[in-house]
Amino acid sequence: MNVLVVARWTVLEARRRRLLAAGVVLSVAFVALFALGYGLLYHDQQQAVLEAEALGSGALSAREELLAVSTLLLVLGLYGVQFLGALLGLFLGVASVSPEIDSGALHAVLARPLSRVEYLLGRFLALAGLVAAYVLLMSGALLLTARVVAGFTPGDARRVVGLMLLEVLILLAVSLLGSTVLPTLANGVVMLALFGVAWLGGILGFVATIPPGNELLANIGTAAGLLLPADAVWRGASYHVLPPSFLAATALAGEVDGPPFIATAPMAPAMLAWALAYPAACLGVAVAAFRRRDL
Amino acid sequence: MSQTASADQTASAGTSTGVPAVATSGLRKAFGSRVALHDLTLRVEPGEVFGFLGPNGAGKTTAMKILLGLVRPSGGEALVLGRPPTEPAARRRIGYLPEHFRFQEWATGAELLGFHGRLSGMGAAELAGRIPELLDRVGLAGRGGERVRRYSKGMTQRLGLALAIIHRPDLVLLDEPTSALDPVGRREVRELVRELAADGVTVFLNSHLLTEVEAVCDRVAIVSQGRVLASGPLDDLAGAATQLRLLLDRADRDLLALLGRRGRVVGVEGTTVTLAVETLDVAPDLARLLVGAGYQLYGMVPVQRSLEDIFVDLVGEVQEG
Repeated sequence: MNVLVVARWTVLEARRRRLLAAGVVLSVAFVALFALGYGLLYHDQQQAVLEAEALGSGALSAREELLAVSTLLLVLGLYGVQFLGALLGLFLGVASVSPEIDSGALHAVLARPLSRVEYLLGRFLALAGLVAAYVLLMSGALLLTARVVAGFTPGDARRVVGLMLLEVLILLAVSLLGSTVLPTLANGVVMLALFGVAWLGGILGFVATIPPGNELLANIGTAAGLLLPADAVWRGASYHVLPPSFLAATALAGEVDGPPFIATAPMAPAMLAWALAYPAACLGVAVAAFRRRDL
Repeated sequence: MSQTASADQTASAGTSTGVPAVATSGLRKAFGSRVALHDLTLRVEPGEVFGFLGPNGAGKTTAMKILLGLVRPSGGEALVLGRPPTEPAARRRIGYLPEHFRFQEWATGAELLGFHGRLSGMGAAELAGRIPELLDRVGLAGRGGERVRRYSKGMTQRLGLALAIIHRPDLVLLDEPTSALDPVGRREVRELVRELAADGVTVFLNSHLLTEVEAVCDRVAIVSQGRVLASGPLDDLAGAATQLRLLLDRADRDLLALLGRRGRVVGVEGTTVTLAVETLDVAPDLARLLVGAGYQLYGMVPVQRSLEDIFVDLVGEVQEG
C-alpha cells in the first residue's frame, strides 16, 4: 500500500518536473527523424540496388543488399534508443534518493510509518515504469517504422524489446543503489564511468573476435560485462533484430562481424542469467545499505 | 490560528496507559570520532510539553532523529509511545517538524498534506475534509493550491506544522519550530502548542530559544555537548537557583564566612553581596543573623533567575571545562 503511495508520488514528481512532457516531445522528434531518414535512405538504396541488379553486378543479390541496409538502419536507430534509454535510466536512478536526502525532504517522509524498503521499492517501481514505457514506445515505433517502410521483420521482436527493457532496468537499479550510498554528483560520475567501462568492454569483446582472436581481450570484455551487463544485454538484443536470412547471407559472404556495436551471435546463457539477476541484486544491496544509513 | 479546530484531537492521547511518551536510557551516538550524544537518559510523560534546550550543536537534532528512527543510536535504548522507533508502526502516532522544514518544492501544499496523510494511513475522504481545515488552522487558508517553491520561509514552516499534525498524533516532535517565524508567527506557534497540550498531545520541543521554552513548556532538559546538564519542571529549575541580593554597610571576610554557611556567595560588588540560596524561606532568619552580628542591613532583594541565566551558567561551565 505504502509502496503504491510512494510510486504515485514519484510519477507526480516526474510530471511536475516536466520530465514526462520533455520526454514525450523529444521522443516524438526522435521517432519522426528516424522515420524520415529511414524512408529516404531506404528508397535511395532501393533505387541503387535495382539499377545495380539491372547491370548484373554485386557480391550479394539485390534483395540481400537491401535487407542488409534496412537491418543496419534499424539497428542503428535502436542503438540510439537504447543509448537514450540507458542515460534516462541512469539519470533517474541518480536523482532517485540522494537529492531527497541532501535537500532534507526525505526526513519528514521517512518519519512516517513507512519502512525504508517500501520507500525504495516505490521509487524503483515508478521510475522503472517510466523508463520501461519510454523504451517500449520508442523501440515499438522504430520496429513499426521498419515494417511499414521496408516490410522488415526482425529475428525476434519480443526478445529485442525485452532485452532492451532489461538493459535500462539494470542501469536504473545500479544507479538507484549508488543513490542510496553516494552523494548525487559522485554517484553521477561513478555511474557514467561504469557505463563507459561496460561500453568499452563490449568494443574490446568485439575486437577480440577479429581473427586470429585475442583471449585476454575477450576476458577483459567479459569482466566489464559482469561488472555492469548493460552493453552485453544490448548486444544480446541487437542479435535478435537480425533476420535469419540476413545472418545466413552475411555468413555466406564471410561478414560475420558486422558493426562493432552489435552481436551476430546470441548472448551466452550464463551472462543472460547474470543480467536477469543483476537488478534484483542491486535492489537487495540498496535496501541493506539504506536501512542502516543515518539520515 | 483558529481556535475552533482543536476539539478534533483525539481525547485518548495516551494519558491513561502509563507508558511514557518518550523514554531513553543511556543513549549514545557517535559519528566517526565525533560524539554527538554521550549518555542521554530522558523520560517524557504523556500530555507533557517538554522542552529540550541547548545551544546549536548540542545534540538535540540527533536525539530527535533517533526518536524517529532516522538515525540509529551507537548505544543505549530509545522508546517512543512504548515501542522502538525503528519499527515503522511505532511512528504511526508521531508527528514531526524537521529542523530545516524542507519539503518537495515541486508539490503544492495540499498535495504534500495528502501524501503525508496517506503515508500515515488516512483515507482520501478523511483527507478531503482534514486538509482545508488544517490549512486554515496554521494560517494558510486558500494557499494550499500553490507550489511550495513559491511559499515564503514562514509559510513553509506553517505548512511543516500542519504536516506534523495532519494525522492527529499523540506525540509531536518539533525541531526549532519558530526559527523562521516573525514575532506574530512565534506567538501563533505557542498558541498551537498550547492547544495541542490542552488536547492531551505530548509535545517534545527542541529549541535554543529560551523565551519559547519558558512560555510553553512544563518541563525542560538543558543539554550541551551531548549531555543533559539539568532537567526538571521549569519552576523547580528556576527556583533552585534563587538568589538574594544583600545591601550592607560593609562586606568583610567575617561576613563572607557567615554567609557561606547559609548559601553560596556568587558575587560581591562593593558592599552588595549576591548569595545563592536553596529557598527564599531562609531570608528572615538570615536578616536576624546579620543584624545580630552587627551588620547594617539596608536591603534584601530576592533575585528570580531566568531560564536564560541558568542556561548560560550551565552551558558556560561546560564549555570552560
